[in-house]
Amino acid sequence: MNALKTLAGAALALSMAIGGAQAQVLFWSTQARPVEETQKVRSEVLKSFDGQVDYQVAEDGPWLTRLQAELQAGSGTIGVLGGLHGDFSTVGANLVDLSGVDIGGVKLNEAYKKLGMLGTNEQKYLPWMQATFLMAANKQALQYLPAGADLNKITYDQLIEWSKNIAEKTGSPKFGFPAGPKGLKHRFFEGFLYPSYTGSMVTKFRSAEAETAWNKFKELWQYTNPNSTNYAFMQEPLLTGEVWVAFDHVARLADAFNQKPDEFVAFPAPAGPAGRGYMPVIAGVAIPKTSPDMDKAKALVAFMLKPETQIATLKATNFFPVVDVNLPDDMPASVKAFGPVIATMTGAPDALPALLPTGLGDLGGKFNQVYVDSFERIVLGGQDVRGVLEEQATALKALIDQAKAPCWAPDKPSEGACPVD
Amino acid sequence: MSAVAEMPIAAPATRKAGNWLLVATVILLSVWVLLPIYLLIVNALSSPEEVTAFPKRFFPSFDFGSLSFFINFAGVGRALWNSVLVATLTMILSIGFGAPAGYALSRFDFPGKGTFRFLVLMTRAFPLPLLALPLAVMFIRTGLDDTAIGLALVHTTLALPFAVLITFSLFSGIPVELEEAAWTLGCTRLQAFRKVILPLALPGIAASAVFAFTISWNEVFAAAVLTIENRTLTAFLLQSLGESPLYLKFAGGAALVIPALIFIFAVRKYLFAMWGIANR
Repeated sequence: MNALKTLAGAALALSMAIGGAQAQVLFWSTQARPVEETQKVRSEVLKSFDGQVDYQVAEDGPWLTRLQAELQAGSGTIGVLGGLHGDFSTVGANLVDLSGVDIGGVKLNEAYKKLGMLGTNEQKYLPWMQATFLMAANKQALQYLPAGADLNKITYDQLIEWSKNIAEKTGSPKFGFPAGPKGLKHRFFEGFLYPSYTGSMVTKFRSAEAETAWNKFKELWQYTNPNSTNYAFMQEPLLTGEVWVAFDHVARLADAFNQKPDEFVAFPAPAGPAGRGYMPVIAGVAIPKTSPDMDKAKALVAFMLKPETQIATLKATNFFPVVDVNLPDDMPASVKAFGPVIATMTGAPDALPALLPTGLGDLGGKFNQVYVDSFERIVLGGQDVRGVLEEQATALKALIDQAKAPCWAPDKPSEGACPVD
Repeated sequence: MSAVAEMPIAAPATRKAGNWLLVATVILLSVWVLLPIYLLIVNALSSPEEVTAFPKRFFPSFDFGSLSFFINFAGVGRALWNSVLVATLTMILSIGFGAPAGYALSRFDFPGKGTFRFLVLMTRAFPLPLLALPLAVMFIRTGLDDTAIGLALVHTTLALPFAVLITFSLFSGIPVELEEAAWTLGCTRLQAFRKVILPLALPGIAASAVFAFTISWNEVFAAAVLTIENRTLTAFLLQSLGESPLYLKFAGGAALVIPALIFIFAVRKYLFAMWGIANR
């Protein structure tokens, strides 16, 4: 008992001692969460910042809860926020206008900058880095490509035929899709499958074209590795050889290319009848109103946009610059593999960019759920496509109306809430 | 009693089969527990290529690359220390509050006793993500934010119901007559408790303290929201591990599991005492 008392005393004394003054800027981020990336952001990206930065990552839930707590309490420790476009849309009203930040002569991507205004006339966040989703294939799979197919111009029909060939010739399905609980499957339906077949993400949700799209995906699912419902990061099944052809976020494919650069090829997302739909992912930096040291926070935001920082960020996280830079030669294998493919995909004549949902506020999660539910019911549950789409369209319409969100690309701009035909 | 005596003695063959069943069950249960830990450790001690390779090696190649990455990862030592600190505080607080409450529940009759027992459990009915926001707001305002003691208070509320209920059944199992005998021999209430009841209850109390320790050690959400500079190891690693490559997941898993295993191994005597298994 005495030992316990001593321990208690010591523990109490120590807990009082900890928690001294903190002169550094706290960078509270949902990005670069994998430990190796966090490590690199700290040691390679932020090291040259004039002033101390404490880069801390959090999952979306704790990230938002902590931020909201500080906003409600009216005082905080968070200096700068890092997050995806969607992370900021819920807290837009509490972000400082960054239009006055001096970013020097850096040329920032105008479209992304406008996105950072979150539909207001203040610069709520500044774009920080960008990424997208790509396809990756094991080189062993190339021999089964259907005749006449060009990887750089691949279509959904060719992808299905290819996956079918592989499954039949090797005896097991080897297309892979991140359909696990932490996988980014919803982005595939929102930004790739729907735009490619319907030219729309929202308006044509229950159109005949959408029905075709789901039926095509069902066809592809027959040649998809059934383990896909567990996958979060496709780099792992690619490395183990469970999967030969896969779709995922570039940051979630990178490890495969970095570990075994000679075994994999990257190629653009496939095209459908309406074009080659793809979704750019934009991360930004912002400053909450409760930031303890506004000047230092603004200096850090400006620092993140410097070309040198952007290149260091690319090396650390596999997210690409949002400013004009010339990439040096000493890039990781994944960057070398992805760079040209992203250029091919975004520059393709049939390219059809589909933006991340905007204006949904905190309904973003429910929006994704509509697509995930449709997938689970149609593809996993085998329910009737028409019926599921009718029901999910009602849910989709209800939440778009609730948010009064106008259409975003690829849907045509609308007056008022985006219609669901 | 007579029914037992009249039962035929089991034939040797049946008894042998029974032994086999026992051994098989013991092996199955051991494998159930040990196999995941074994795989965790083998993979943590393998190089990244071996982790994704198949078939697995039976003995690891003792590649310390992934593990040393964790040890050198900025802040791990600090986070480990915070975890120990918060868990120890939680242990002390939950026993400090829980054991008296358990004693009162088992020895005294008071109005609302049943409701009180129910209410103690009710504190577990609210999910932490729901409580975290108001708690964090309050903590920031009162200055408890980002301190070990603040987090320990939250973990104590999680551990307290168990501490109360375990000590309640513990004290109920000690005959009140023992205490009364001490009183008749001149002990005060406090003396009787200290000299008679406490020695009997100590192993059980220690066991519920261990339980409080593990609850605090494993808790993530509150730790992630309520601390920033002083994160616990679990909050620190789990935020990142979910999305790290496989070999780092294994190494991080080992880094999380091993300290807890060592701790439980060190106090196993008390833990077994709670379940009535003699260890001497």
